[in-house]
Amino acid sequence: MFILKNAWISIKRNKGRNILIGIIILIIACACTITLAIKNTAVDLIDSYKSAYDKEVTIGFNRENMMKGFDPSQEEGRESAREKFDNIASYTISDVEKFADSDYIESYYYTYGVGLNGNSIEKAEIESNNDMPNGFGHGRENNMSSTDFTLTGYSSQDAMSEFISGAYTMSEITDNAWDIAFNGNYIFINEELASYNNLKLNDKVKLEDEDGNVYEFEIIGIFKENEEDNQESMSMFSNSVNTIITNSEAVVKLTDGNENLKASIHPTFIINSYDNVEKLQDEFYEKGLDENFILQTNEELAESGVSSVKNISSFSTSFLIITLIIGGIVLFVINMINIRERKYEIGVLRTIGISKLKLTMQFVAELVIVSVIALTLGAGIGAVSSKGVSNSLLANEISSSNEKTEEINKNFGGINHDGARGGMHGKGMPVVQAYDSIDAVVDIKVLIELLSIGLSLVLVSSIASMVSIQRFSPLTILKERS
Amino acid sequence: MANKNNYVSKDKLGKNISKKEIKVKTKEDNELKEKKEIKEKNTSAKNVILSIKNASYRYSDAEEDDYALKNVSFDFECGKLYAIRGRSGTGKTTLLSLISGLEKCTEGEIIFAGKSLKDMNLDKYRNSDIGIVFQSYNLLPFMTASENIILSMDANGLKIKSKKEKAIELMEKVGLKASYANRKVLRLSGGEQQRVAIARSLSYNPKMIIADEPTGNLDKQTESEILEIFKKLAHEENKCVIIVTHSQNVCDTVDKIYDLKKVKDVN
Repeated sequence: MFILKNAWISIKRNKGRNILIGIIILIIACACTITLAIKNTAVDLIDSYKSAYDKEVTIGFNRENMMKGFDPSQEEGRESAREKFDNIASYTISDVEKFADSDYIESYYYTYGVGLNGNSIEKAEIESNNDMPNGFGHGRENNMSSTDFTLTGYSSQDAMSEFISGAYTMSEITDNAWDIAFNGNYIFINEELASYNNLKLNDKVKLEDEDGNVYEFEIIGIFKENEEDNQESMSMFSNSVNTIITNSEAVVKLTDGNENLKASIHPTFIINSYDNVEKLQDEFYEKGLDENFILQTNEELAESGVSSVKNISSFSTSFLIITLIIGGIVLFVINMINIRERKYEIGVLRTIGISKLKLTMQFVAELVIVSVIALTLGAGIGAVSSKGVSNSLLANEISSSNEKTEEINKNFGGINHDGARGGMHGKGMPVVQAYDSIDAVVDIKVLIELLSIGLSLVLVSSIASMVSIQRFSPLTILKERS
Repeated sequence: MANKNNYVSKDKLGKNISKKEIKVKTKEDNELKEKKEIKEKNTSAKNVILSIKNASYRYSDAEEDDYALKNVSFDFECGKLYAIRGRSGTGKTTLLSLISGLEKCTEGEIIFAGKSLKDMNLDKYRNSDIGIVFQSYNLLPFMTASENIILSMDANGLKIKSKKEKAIELMEKVGLKASYANRKVLRLSGGEQQRVAIARSLSYNPKMIIADEPTGNLDKQTESEILEIFKKLAHEENKCVIIVTHSQNVCDTVDKIYDLKKVKDVN
């Protein structure tokens, strides 16, 4: 009580100095509130944005590993690289099931593709070379490029990422399509292919492999590919015109016992955290995955939409650190001056028997009282200003980001990559919607952080008074005064 | 003849006293005298509140044999007014700082109420056992007279209902008007400030008052008045009052004077 009473008397007595300290702390508090509010809101936005995506892992080639020791100028080098590529141990459905049995994996799905020729139908001719169907960016596509059609088998509805993303939409479908789609020889075909071959729902379609084995399928749905995902193609048909969709079991049946018909599996694993990807990769290697494969995540894509917010968040952090350093130094200096001015008072108080500890606590209490008042005011002002400041910062970020995108597009000859961002990936990611405003909120978390930062700053800057009080000899001070 | 030889003296009543009787009487007288001396000594020992035993002090940055104070031994009793006298450089202020616990003896020890200062909490000692009065008053200028006195009560942790009333009472005791209570100390004269300092030193009723040149800055008239206060505190309130001084007027007032000599003179 004595400490607080004396601290309060001193604050009232040294109004000028305490107002100065208060203003400095107010400015620091204001800056901290704004930056903390922006930072926390940005982090929340990033988290919620990322959580809107499944954390996906796919298997891709480890190109770096494969290119080790490769010398393209030497015929031998090319030959050995080709040999290396051919010898990469592929993975099968049972391997995928084995990989999926992991603590890091929540669920999985896959597409299973095989190349077949038309028997009762004709391939829709495509003029450009850019005709590789989506969904086969990974794995080994042995015989698909030379065949008429790509038969893609999905393990579940979850795996049909093109439909989830809106890249494909079903235009016609039988009533019981989804009841039978994953169990039997049923297919969905592109509406252009249907029109090219005059096909309709419930028609039978015959396809054959290179050995002449014929397989019959029934059409239960007709889909179309969205124009947005078709912009890159120079063909009159969409990319997926010769893609026939079925279930993975149908593909498995086709390939069973037919060594010449090699299928390509493309699994997608939903993991619980991106932090575990390395551990998961090691686990896959232990379970027999060839080391020329590597795990790839969709983290980068998930983050691309929040790059502007991330920039602001990191700018906020830097600004916060600089503010705290400068504020800390200023407060420390003011405290030093304060102590020098109050040396006589310290001497008298020590002489009448006030302990060093009590005196130190009194000086710290003075600073804490002023700080708490200034921090409260600063938090209030910061709360009001944070939204405006954050949105104006973001506006600049977005405009500079757009300029960069346009520049990249020009480098690629003016083709608009941005519009096809979701579809280009081809694995069902929704087209990335970037944020264009932040509602920075000063919540209890920000206030607690502000209070912790403020009080830490006060304590650090009080070191001057603490050390001086320990060092001063009351008698020397009083003698100097006399 | 034998009877004649036996009676060699007469007592106060004219009665003859033999040699043997004289011997016994002398022994009894001696015993009584011894008892009286021991009793007096004990009474005096009981009254000793502060005892300085072979105290020496050397500044931390001084050479090994460069003492500011060497082998000082004094005893101070309750109810008496003392003066410690000495020329400049004899270590008067150093001795005061040792007594008040602001510095610690390099050698020897100081015993207060049977306890060595080395074993005591010196902050507590300063805010409850002794009161210190300085030549330059050492009041806090931004406070009023009563606030300075109350501050000292607070430092002591004194729990009374109205500290301000107590402060005014103390001010009146040292000859200050109650109306001065709310006056900033800088608006008081030197003598008045010194009275406030004395009132402050009395605020927690210490057993001993130590004053360093308390009248050094005051005129003769005020000096006498201040000395009168100290005298009353010693003789009427049974306090031990020690005044460090070189003023002859002060020395003429006190009960006992201790002289401090320069260390080199002592050597």
